[in-house]
Amino acid sequence: MDEEKRKDILERLKNGVVEFDEDMVREAAQEALDVGMDALDAIMNGLVAGMEEVGELFDKGEYFVPEVLMCADALYAGLDILKPHVKKEDIKVSGQVVIGVVEGDVHDIGKNLVKMMFEVAGFEVIDLGKDVPLEKFVEESLNANADIVALSAMMTTTMLGMPKVIEMIREKNPNAKILIGGAPVSKESAEKWGADGWAPDATNAVKEAINMVRGLKKEVMGEE
Amino acid sequence: MTSKHKIIFQPEGKRGEFEEGTTILDAAREVGVDIEAICGGKLTCGKCQVIIEQGMENLSPVTDDEKRLLDKRKAGKNYRLACVTKFYGDVVVYVPEESRGGEQIILKEGVELSVAINPAVKKYYLELPKPHLKDDLGDFERVLAALKEDYKIENVEIDYEVLKKMPDVLRDADWKVTVSIWNDREIIDIQPGYRVEESYGLAVDIGTTTVVGYLTDLRTGKVLAVDSMMNPQVTYGEDVMSRITYAMQYEDGLEKLNEKIVDGLNKILENVCREAGISTDEVSEMTVVGNTGMHHIFLKINPQHIAIAPYVPALHRSHDVKARDLGLNITKGGYVHVLPIEAGWVGADNVAVLIATEPYNQDEMCLVIDIGTNGEIVLGNKEKLVSCSAAAGPALEGAHIKHGMRAATGAIEKIRIDPETLEPEYRTIGNAPPRGICGSGIIDAAAELYRAGIVKKNGRFNLDLDSPRVREVDGNPEYVIAWADETAIGHDIVMTQKDIREIQLAKGAMCAGAHILMKELGVEHVDRVIVAGAFGNYIDKMSALIIGLVPDVPVERIESVGNAAGVGARIALISREKREEANRIARNVEHIKLAVHPSFEKEFSMAMYFPHMDKKRYPGHKEILELRGAE
Ligand code: B12
Ligand code: FES
Repeated sequence: MDEEKRKDILERLKNGVVEFDEDMVREAAQEALDVGMDALDAIMNGLVAGMEEVGELFDKGEYFVPEVLMCADALYAGLDILKPHVKKEDIKVSGQVVIGVVEGDVHDIGKNLVKMMFEVAGFEVIDLGKDVPLEKFVEESLNANADIVALSAMMTTTMLGMPKVIEMIREKNPNAKILIGGAPVSKESAEKWGADGWAPDATNAVKEAINMVRGLKKEVMGEE
Repeated sequence: MTSKHKIIFQPEGKRGEFEEGTTILDAAREVGVDIEAICGGKLTCGKCQVIIEQGMENLSPVTDDEKRLLDKRKAGKNYRLACVTKFYGDVVVYVPEESRGGEQIILKEGVELSVAINPAVKKYYLELPKPHLKDDLGDFERVLAALKEDYKIENVEIDYEVLKKMPDVLRDADWKVTVSIWNDREIIDIQPGYRVEESYGLAVDIGTTTVVGYLTDLRTGKVLAVDSMMNPQVTYGEDVMSRITYAMQYEDGLEKLNEKIVDGLNKILENVCREAGISTDEVSEMTVVGNTGMHHIFLKINPQHIAIAPYVPALHRSHDVKARDLGLNITKGGYVHVLPIEAGWVGADNVAVLIATEPYNQDEMCLVIDIGTNGEIVLGNKEKLVSCSAAAGPALEGAHIKHGMRAATGAIEKIRIDPETLEPEYRTIGNAPPRGICGSGIIDAAAELYRAGIVKKNGRFNLDLDSPRVREVDGNPEYVIAWADETAIGHDIVMTQKDIREIQLAKGAMCAGAHILMKELGVEHVDRVIVAGAFGNYIDKMSALIIGLVPDVPVERIESVGNAAGVGARIALISREKREEANRIARNVEHIKLAVHPSFEKEFSMAMYFPHMDKKRYPGHKEILELRGAE
């Protein structure tokens, strides 16, 4: 396959995501498969590259929630087509994340954005959904041997569940790192409740997670 | 053998034939003409006046007592009291407006509605036979006997506090008393003498921010005095959620919050009674509306479960509780009637709005929307009603907006921006130098920034404009509405990119909620938009359409009805039918749970655009922009 064709397809995948044009993404993804392009290449250098740009646009304030949500739709439209064709051994996982919205809270739009950015960054994500019973975070993080447990809450009432989860996880799964976020959750509360990390938005959530995982690997490998 | 005589009642023209010597009142009751006879024919009230059109000569003579009363009421010629006047020949009687029972009140504040007056508390005047050795019936039984004899009222009980004072009241008043009966089944007060015409109730709207009380005459529905105050709970949090959080976090949290509101209501009660010149224990009932959070806290019910999914309230139906159990200082035996809750967050305040605006009686497709923190929305007509709550948050009222403030002196309440020069014109409350922007100004600002092309349809600032007012500070775009030297605060008043984002979230949630309800009912447009909530009065309707806060509708089809929740509370105070209607409606409105609605996320994203990402849903938008341009 000639390089020019590859570039063209990658460009369309990327632009399709950035311009939230689902049709453009679907067409390009299908074409990538038809011309025998490596699916992982198409995902990483097309779709994910697009989503990274979206993240930057969001950081700059150029994009806001509706655009990011629509970009996500375009991204997932492409992933649906390409993912089944990725060779298992090619997948490099940056880490295992268990994410969910805490018990009593049904606001999951923010969580969905954070989840997507994690997937884009190569994390394997187990999404527990919304209104997740507090114990479930502990169970699932143990089952999945998660590196990171990410908790989201959008209400001042439900965020009070966070310190409880943190305490339970500390007790039963001390190796997992805990990342928390959501509009009412502040850096101060994260510190007070003993979380390992906090972020104000989805792009920073991933940055924070990457730092945390690095820290985790260092601890495990006994590096300084 | 006595002969029969004909009687005709005007203006209805109802007629009948009666035995000689029947009173006009009895005849009227028999043929179904409603004449007010509130003292029950004891020649005390003088309300049962009628005008004799024909047959003056066929009547019993006027007694001294009757004459005295007629004079007192300044009755004209040919007037008689129906309860005592007997007829001995054919007569034609005219029942004047003021003597007709089944009175209606026409409400004209925001909503126009006529309600038949039928309060839960009614007063009855009794003249009891003095007990003596041969008639040693108990006091309560004596009252019961008189109620049955004079008013055909049976099966009533008595409040314990009233029972305690009854023997003394009866004797001190020489056995002439007025009893207050609640819902035809319980005596909740006994007063010496003739007090039937002094019957009062207090209707209360407990808003998260403001509490209003209306002292109402239960016999006419008229408001005698109004008082309002900031909800004294604000010290424990601005919004409902933070107050519930407070109640959850501290053991005595609920108690404190409850105490605050009860103290506040007692203060309101005192103030309105002072203004009307009555004492607080003359108030015999209270009705209360409020959102589900306020409702629970007022009743001292743990509000925790309504704050957490699946948002289940302690009860849906209306509830009556003794005022004294809550520490409220109306008459000791009096009740508080709390209106029903529709669903989770669509509370008693919304039910009150519904009984005040009656969308369920309309042919037209009505959207009733409360532009506020909780954003309750109801859509429908006489066929069906659906509701949802869209949790817009307080941004539209000024919270989380950099220069947002409450509607107070110096608040910018109106803004226009010239699309050519990009220069603004604004008006402040009290024409004072500006201190900030209040709700209506915030909606105006968003609409005008968009109309002038300073903010794009996706909410992003356009920085390619040549105006010193459009600028970037530390990478954050903003528009200067007032330069520092014009203001009272010494620095520029601006609208920032982040402010616009907050507005988008809030308006997006409301607009998405409305469109989802429209989809649920399968309609593409609504005929009328009814904006409830005091805040709605001040919003510029055109601006609301320009940003797409409400669905597309001709601007003249948007009506602000003001504090319709308060009106609903007043209606419940004077109408038992409306109380039943409230319970029925609360049960029948179908609640749509946006939280689990599959298209919420999509609708929400689309609705965050100005006016909407899907332009087809706003076919009238161009016209609105032109109308605004031509202003
Ligand atoms: C949309 C919305 C809803 C939707 C939710 C739909 C859904 N599937 O999520 C609906 C309409 C269902 C809803 C319902 C309710 N809502 Co609501 N809702 C909102 C609203 C308008 C926007 C929230 C949102 O989606 N923001 C956009 C997302 C992208 O931002 P975000 O969630 O903050 O996420 C970002 C960051 O926080 C961060 N982040 C998020 N999670 C995580 C996790 C981690 C680990 C990290 C690192 C970062 C991170 O990254 C995200 C992306 O950048 C807000 C008001 C507002 N203006 O914010 C109220 C609001 C959150 N809701 C509120 C309330 C009270 C409710 C209700 C309980 C009551 C009501 N009045 O209706 C109900 C729930 C019951 C019901 N009726 O179903 C309140 C909470 C108040 C408080 N003090 O806690 C708010 C603040 C409005 C208000 N002030 O009244 N709501
Ligand atoms: S009913 Fe009272 S005077 Fe006739």
